[in-house]
Amino acid sequence: MNKQEYLSRLRQRLSGLPQSDMDERVAFYSEMIDDRMEDGLSEEDAVAEIGSVDEVVSQIVAETPLSTLVKQRIKPKHRLQAWEIMLLILGFPLWFSLLIAAFAVLFSVYIVIWAVIISLWAVDVSFAAASLGGLITGFMMLCRDDAVQGWLMLGAAIVLAGLFLFLLLGCKSVTHVALALSRKIALWVKSLFFKKEDVE
Amino acid sequence: MDIQLKRGLLDVCVLAAIKNKDSYGYQIIKDMKPYITLSESTLYTILKRLEAADMLTVRSTEHDGRLRKYYRITDAGLKRIEMFKAEWTEILAIYQFVAKEDQQHE
Repeated sequence: MNKQEYLSRLRQRLSGLPQSDMDERVAFYSEMIDDRMEDGLSEEDAVAEIGSVDEVVSQIVAETPLSTLVKQRIKPKHRLQAWEIMLLILGFPLWFSLLIAAFAVLFSVYIVIWAVIISLWAVDVSFAAASLGGLITGFMMLCRDDAVQGWLMLGAAIVLAGLFLFLLLGCKSVTHVALALSRKIALWVKSLFFKKEDVE
Repeated sequence: MDIQLKRGLLDVCVLAAIKNKDSYGYQIIKDMKPYITLSESTLYTILKRLEAADMLTVRSTEHDGRLRKYYRITDAGLKRIEMFKAEWTEILAIYQFVAKEDQQHE
């Protein structure tokens, strides 16, 4: 791929970024290619050393805050005409409800993921609390010469403590998975603002 | 390596690369190459971060009929390097302790 091709592909893929941001990045990569060629590399080799457009774009997606992307997307490309403003106002019930729906869906996905996590932890904490309560009442029963019931209570408390520890491991790994999932969803949402592949 | 730690270290590396002489993107990558391989995208992010933190300034100069950006370190940037060197003796002392204890057990 030659330099011109590479830069125009990059420009296409980065059209979700604010104009000045995109210009600056493309200028940066252009300078990098030029300097490599000045150093004796062929144009193709210089471009290859920079890394594929996909690699560059995915790193930019990861480090650009979502708010920047949204702001850029909703900013009109030119001054709005009177009829466009009219259309926006008239269409408000439609586009606004669609927007709200999209946000609600995303939000509910997060809620569902985290509801599972929270309920798991709640169960685990209640095991711990019940085990602690069992220990205390068990000892109290033993002190009042309620031997059979006391030992029974202590046994139950120990079983609960075991369950608590066992579930703790599960809770931890599930929380890790949920965190990774949340991060993936955020990345996916951001990548929606970038073009998937080149439009020839 | 821990991402936060690496990020902080790379910041100082780039500052060191422009400490004695103003430099430009490709030169910085070449200077660091014997020690660390730095990708263009990573360098871009670091330079942006350092510029926002007023640790370097940028100017565009014409070179061979095209523009090239030169980066110059500021007093804040120099101070960051000094701070790093001061911190580093502490980290080195911790490393030496860890290595010594580790060896005694073998």
